[in-house]
Amino acid sequence: MTPTEAGLYGFLILIALMFLKIPVGFAMALVGFGGFAFLVSWDAALQLMTQDFFSVFGSYNLTVIPLFVLMGQVAHHAGISGRLFNAANKFLGHLRGGLAVATIGACAGFSAICGSTSATAATMASVALPEMKKYNYDPALATGVVAAGGSLGILIPPSTIFIIYGILTEQSIGKLFLAGVIPGILMALLFIVTIFIWTWLKPELVTPAPRSTFREKVASLAGVIETFILFAAVMGGLFMGIFTPTEAAAVGAFGTILIALAGRNLTWKGFVQALHETTRVSCMILVIVAGATVFGHFLAVTRIPFDVGDWVRELPLSPNMIMAVIIVIYLLMGCLMDSLAMITLTIPIIYPVITSLGFDPIWFGVIIVVVTEMGVITPPVGINVYVVGGVARDVPLHVIFNGALHMLMAQLATAILLILFPQIALWLPAMMQ
Amino acid sequence: MLRTIVKSIHQAAAGLNGVSAAAVVFIMLLTCADVAMRLFGKPIPGTYELVGYFGAVIVAFALAHTFVERGHIAVELLVDRLPARPRAFIEGTGYLLSAVLFGLLAWQSQVYAMDLIETGEVSLTLGIPTWPFVFSLTAGCGMLSLVLLLDALRQLKRGLAP
Repeated sequence: MTPTEAGLYGFLILIALMFLKIPVGFAMALVGFGGFAFLVSWDAALQLMTQDFFSVFGSYNLTVIPLFVLMGQVAHHAGISGRLFNAANKFLGHLRGGLAVATIGACAGFSAICGSTSATAATMASVALPEMKKYNYDPALATGVVAAGGSLGILIPPSTIFIIYGILTEQSIGKLFLAGVIPGILMALLFIVTIFIWTWLKPELVTPAPRSTFREKVASLAGVIETFILFAAVMGGLFMGIFTPTEAAAVGAFGTILIALAGRNLTWKGFVQALHETTRVSCMILVIVAGATVFGHFLAVTRIPFDVGDWVRELPLSPNMIMAVIIVIYLLMGCLMDSLAMITLTIPIIYPVITSLGFDPIWFGVIIVVVTEMGVITPPVGINVYVVGGVARDVPLHVIFNGALHMLMAQLATAILLILFPQIALWLPAMMQ
Repeated sequence: MLRTIVKSIHQAAAGLNGVSAAAVVFIMLLTCADVAMRLFGKPIPGTYELVGYFGAVIVAFALAHTFVERGHIAVELLVDRLPARPRAFIEGTGYLLSAVLFGLLAWQSQVYAMDLIETGEVSLTLGIPTWPFVFSLTAGCGMLSLVLLLDALRQLKRGLAP
């Protein structure tokens, strides 16, 4: 068996193991270890795997993950999402579909202090869904908007997906974060446009909420200040080069705790829950990264990354067409696979191809994130839909998927605009130098 | 009998997870203190290596409890549609394989830690030995392997029951 064949079999076995419900991080480590042992030696594989696990778990750069997760979790338990939604609601709620528009606004705001799609969707679902139900919003619209809006969590910084991509490809996390800002705002605006068109075509889906007074509007702004301060301190420090990403995350998490305590919004119980969520989510993410590292070392001793690179370069297609094909492949994979597993698995193979075709690595990071965002709301494996379904227990999953698929249009439009005008992503990071 | 063993193992896993949570708070406070002291021109030496070391504690000690809470992402799409018994059999086999994997990791990390004791490897700035943190990987992987093994037995028993 040639190394290339061993690599191909490895891939097939990996996919089989994953579909047999072995946790994806475990499956990648298993196949990576087994493959390396088969091609090199048992002892070398054992040593390599152990060192991979220890170096990933003990990596200073990756401690940014638990710290940003903690920041988002504390923000959730401290009710920050509720205050953001309240403010957005006071300004936008009276429009047609205004509560849905306010939900998108609050999602975008919460994304500025939270780096995960499912956490953003979960926290906004518990805040926005009861309000939309009160005004008889159509369940598909209400839940779909929350599931899709939550996906902004990884495009607007901070973002776990940008962190993982940055570490895998050795790109600056600060630049990736900056590159996500304008596309994130653009996607939020396109979500809002989608809601306007949707409710204009079918006005019966929504009832307008009452207009609020000027005084109420001004008062609600107090709830936005904390988010603004946190975002400015964390991202400002990171972008100006004062903080490493880990320092920015630590300051952000501590700052969120202090602000929550100052406003008497954080109980001991809430804090402990936030910590438990943090260890669970961080452990899940880092095990996938460790598994992918082991699998990546196995791939490196097969010739697969080179073979794929050669094969793609010989295709009679222009770089843009190859990019289109890659995006379609990611979309299909995103329907079936967890986003993190998809990225850690494909980047070692796809990334060299991308750079050799002359695409910008930062821009491609944004594309990957946008494609991932589609993956979290498309059936059958759309994590955000399941999260929203967990909160809205009276709404069947297929109804939520149906609502979320309407919002997919806005994500597709963002992806197309990014391909046509890469400057949307690249303009801001270029200002950093 | 088996049930009491499972219960106490799960409690131990939750205990390790508590240490993991404490380590998160520790690296947050240490990093913030370092940033604050830097303003006065006196950064805390060794912050970088301590944060990395305790990062290993965070993940390793959360491994088992995260599995108990089914926090490790898996593709449930196919298996969850099967009838109860083949499903239990497939899950049990998968957990057994995973138990072997983490058992190997626990064993090899212990060998690795012993090597480090022998060679006396220490961190660059503070001169802290690396081996205790490698042992945290042994403890975490060993605990996860145990939890997986017990779950594998339970599921296989269910899957193979006549």
